[in-house]
Amino acid sequence: MAVVATVVPESRIVADAGVRRRRFIDGLATVILWGLGASVILMLAAFVIYLFYLGASAISWSFLTGSPQETTAGGGIGPEIYNSFYILVLTLIFTVPIALAAGVYLQEYAKPGLFRTIVQFSAESLATVPSIVMGLFGLLVFVYYFHWGFSALGGAVTLTLLNLPALMRVTQEALSSVPDSLREASMGLGATRWQTIYRTVLPSAIGRMTTGIVLIAGRIFGETAALIFTAGLSVSANHPYELNPMRSAETLAIHLWYTHSESIVPDVDRIGNGSALVLLVMVLIFNVSARVAGRALTKRFTGRSS
Amino acid sequence: MIAVQAKRSHTIERIAVWVLRAAAAFVIFAIAALLIYLCFEGTKTFTVDHLPVWQFLFTSDFDPTANKGGAAIFIVGTIVVTLFALCVGGPFGIAVGAFLSEIAPPRMAGILKPAIEVLVGIPSVVYGWLGLRLLVPFLREHTSSASGFGLAAAGIVLSIMILPTVISLSEDAFRSLPGALREGSMALGSTRWQTMVRVLLPSASSGLSVALILGMARAIGETLAVQMVLGNATQFASGLFAPTAALTTEIVIDMPGATQGSFLEHELFSMALFLLLLAMALILLVRFVLRKRV
Amino acid sequence: MTKIAALAALFLGASLLAPTAAFADTSISIAGSTALLPLVKDAAGIYQTMHPDVKISVSGGGSGTGIAQAAAKAIDIGDSDITAPNNPELHDNRVAVIGFAVVTNPSLGVKNLTKAQIQDIFTGKVSNWKEVGGPDQKIVVINRPRSSGTRAVFTKTLMGGKTVNEAGLTEDATGTVVSVVQTTPGAISYAAFSGTHGKGVSEVAIDGIAPTDDNVIDGKYPFWSYEHMFTQGAPTGEISRFIAFVQTRTDLLAKNGYIKISDMKVKESDR
Repeated sequence: MAVVATVVPESRIVADAGVRRRRFIDGLATVILWGLGASVILMLAAFVIYLFYLGASAISWSFLTGSPQETTAGGGIGPEIYNSFYILVLTLIFTVPIALAAGVYLQEYAKPGLFRTIVQFSAESLATVPSIVMGLFGLLVFVYYFHWGFSALGGAVTLTLLNLPALMRVTQEALSSVPDSLREASMGLGATRWQTIYRTVLPSAIGRMTTGIVLIAGRIFGETAALIFTAGLSVSANHPYELNPMRSAETLAIHLWYTHSESIVPDVDRIGNGSALVLLVMVLIFNVSARVAGRALTKRFTGRSS
Repeated sequence: MIAVQAKRSHTIERIAVWVLRAAAAFVIFAIAALLIYLCFEGTKTFTVDHLPVWQFLFTSDFDPTANKGGAAIFIVGTIVVTLFALCVGGPFGIAVGAFLSEIAPPRMAGILKPAIEVLVGIPSVVYGWLGLRLLVPFLREHTSSASGFGLAAAGIVLSIMILPTVISLSEDAFRSLPGALREGSMALGSTRWQTMVRVLLPSASSGLSVALILGMARAIGETLAVQMVLGNATQFASGLFAPTAALTTEIVIDMPGATQGSFLEHELFSMALFLLLLAMALILLVRFVLRKRV
Repeated sequence: MTKIAALAALFLGASLLAPTAAFADTSISIAGSTALLPLVKDAAGIYQTMHPDVKISVSGGGSGTGIAQAAAKAIDIGDSDITAPNNPELHDNRVAVIGFAVVTNPSLGVKNLTKAQIQDIFTGKVSNWKEVGGPDQKIVVINRPRSSGTRAVFTKTLMGGKTVNEAGLTEDATGTVVSVVQTTPGAISYAAFSGTHGKGVSEVAIDGIAPTDDNVIDGKYPFWSYEHMFTQGAPTGEISRFIAFVQTRTDLLAKNGYIKISDMKVKESDR
């Protein structure tokens, strides 16, 4: 161990060269790490600013509500925005009940054993499937095998499979954050397991779950690879704002990709920049609302602020 | 009255349990269906078109119209792009993870963590678009790359995309280390940096390996952003800035034009199967690493 | 909880019933060649104004996509620049002739290339523009995906049996190709007249023959093909009416840069 200090008559402790060097390195390292941490924030800021800079001029009412053009300039993204929300809602309708139920089962009911292990392993495996592979699976099953052609429904079911594990994890984590004392108190009053969960545990966990659901919704909104082969590359032929799930439904994210790689319109840049900006703004909105909604719901249902 | 009520709630209880169990079973059904279908369709290259497996994996002669199905270029492409991303994003991510765990004051963490969450939420296409607008012209002007598209562009974009994963898992890994480790090290006279490098880093190695492996898994499956900047040239990357192709990009480019039942379609499904097996292998690796930890 | 469930059920129910309300509308879905896209899109627009009860959706994706999806019955009509010998169940409806051009970045100043030079460039034998009469600049080849009809026509008419070197960049559609060629010095690629005329790229003469419609009609310019609209079996009903519409509205052909089949002085059976 190196000598740390030399005591001098005036009782002043001076560090020796070795210590000074170590402290210098420590300081340098701290500065570098601060720099790296800050650079992440700066990087995000740079992206946001650049996307606004590129896309702000493209945003107009006609752009946001107009229909896309295949060959001429002036296309809009109205139907694509609609489709993004449509598929999002449809996906959540399927995903939330199943993931909630499965998560509750795993967290509250399942005893350690074969079934539980298999379910958890299945969920983990499902989580590792790359989104494009899931898209091919959807293509195989829904477009080819079921003969649905390109459909919003096929896309939604594919996305359900993709997001099931994430939502299950959110559920499990939210449930585990509820203190056991709550459950014990409820059982002590004579409630059944299910009543306990339904009336006490779930409401307590609802804030965190909502945060998780909204964040996942943000990811669904931007999903592309899984939808290219299932929901298709064009908006519905019948009516751009259709309610029927059995028709092709190009979302905004897909439209951005399509514009870049397939399109022959002369204003590719404008449409791409505008679409990218709208997507970014939606992500920011989802992120912020996730926190806000989560906090508000937790306060309402538990009286605490998380 | 109470007895009737109790009976009713017990029936509800039983039904509820069965519904929940069914939902959990659905998950098993989903992954099983996926594996079965993909195995079925993905092995048609070998069973129906009689392509030897080793040829698929190790030769680079890829010409579906002539029934030549060597996918080595794409496999190598995926591996190389992933490694590039890992080399850039890995150390960066671990460093920021350490920063968050050991150094950052709450106010800084309060800005950095939400920023990371936003980065996660940005869709793949938007990253691709940014790469197209910012990175590709930059590389075209300032490096030997003739067009700007290539391995470096894709690698950089990918490294940014895996950063959040690596950062948060690294941070978790560091945070889960007992405080006694730090205190002991400091008591012996180490600086904070020395503690981090000599004590914390080795102790968290399994958690950090998991962070890197999961970052890798994310990179392997990434499609859109990579396809928009990789150049998609069916050749091995001749240099750091040369265009090449990866499994995911090849699938997304050629799948729309692949007729059902054609050699190309089978080939692409085999690539998808390979991707899936690779991703699952990585997850098993993670479990293995975690089990080995002390 | 139950309120939400009821709303969800209502929403799904309504959406499943909605199509019956739209049943009066016929819908035609078309996808495929980006070379044919301008013509089909224009025709579809006019047709829908004439027949408000018909809805047509048109998108690109490339000739390979058009054929594959028509064969898989995912769409009604598949547009293609090439024939579909592997899919005999598809009915070939020829609608026009289109010329293709080899395009280069305008800063190169390259105005003419011989067939041999084109082959050398695309097989990778020649890698610098100065070897073919241009400035000292590395050649950046931009290819189309394997499923591209344009690429198939290129290989058939200009490559003389040699295989295209895969070492170039690959970009998907006419539009992307043209924009990458515009911005990348040293770039060369190929695309249909409908996408290249007047788009800020240099259209190269081949063996001294300029890429114009007249030269295609006379058979002097080799790089052309028929445009096909493939259907599952012989077209019926509204689909056949629309295809007939496209075939007879020759004024749309001229407007969008295509050539009437009947104008052609040469005929090819395998394009």
